[in-house]
Amino acid sequence: MPFSPCRVVIERISAVIDGEVSAVDRLRFHAHLALCPPCKRYYAQLVAVRALGSEPSEEDLPQDFAAVMSFVLDAVEPPDSRPRQSG
Amino acid sequence: MAEAELIDALRAGDQDAWRQTLQANLPALIGYATRMTGDRASGEEVVQEALVTVYKGLSAFEGRCSLRSWMFKAVRSRALDELRRRGRVVLSPHGDPLEDAFDGRGRWREEPPELGSDLDSRIDAQRALAQVRRQVDRLPHDLREVFLLREVQGLDSSEICAALEITPQNLRTRLHRARKQLRAQVVRAIQEGV
Repeated sequence: MPFSPCRVVIERISAVIDGEVSAVDRLRFHAHLALCPPCKRYYAQLVAVRALGSEPSEEDLPQDFAAVMSFVLDAVEPPDSRPRQSG
Repeated sequence: MAEAELIDALRAGDQDAWRQTLQANLPALIGYATRMTGDRASGEEVVQEALVTVYKGLSAFEGRCSLRSWMFKAVRSRALDELRRRGRVVLSPHGDPLEDAFDGRGRWREEPPELGSDLDSRIDAQRALAQVRRQVDRLPHDLREVFLLREVQGLDSSEICAALEITPQNLRTRLHRARKQLRAQVVRAIQEGV
């Protein structure tokens, strides 16, 4: 892969990130990056964006889920445990 | 408790089983629904309705995927209903952000820019984080959902394929497109100083 066209190398990035290539192909991929500054830059940018995009924001942090939980628990209450309605 | 036993308990409306299931899954489900719909209130509403649907559908659940995948599938379906209602379902265009990036021999025609900015140096990590987050939320929904499920919620491939009813090959393609598209959007936003 060191002498593969850049297009081919770039299209392999996700496979490399997700561990879907052999050890040899991984080495070839990184060998290409070592020799090719544009591909190295592209890879670094994609990896940085991916890492930043994966970081939880404040909205993702654990919060009080009581309202949702009680809504669902009310909905799944077994019929025989519900208070009987008169009339 | 094994999943089959858990499902039996959930079918029977066992409150402890439901509480345990909700505690284990609500943060991820609400996080996903919030990012899909764009706000937490809608996300919570979507999850509530989806989980009631899950409860009502448990008698027909055949266990061909995990309960977790099934819950994500229900949440995704309800979130899409909400987006359709708002007219906000935007699918990714067929174009590739790198379509014109290479010449006929597969070499860079126009090299990736040196940003010298937050993204390369991460000097201003919070600014970069906010920018990337904004661009994730702007991804077309079919790319955004795979990015959120894999990169943010950490579901494995089989869970995502079951939740979205797509093949592993389709997932790989979409995930790769999502990452490329996200990078392209972030780079454009940085270059434009947005």
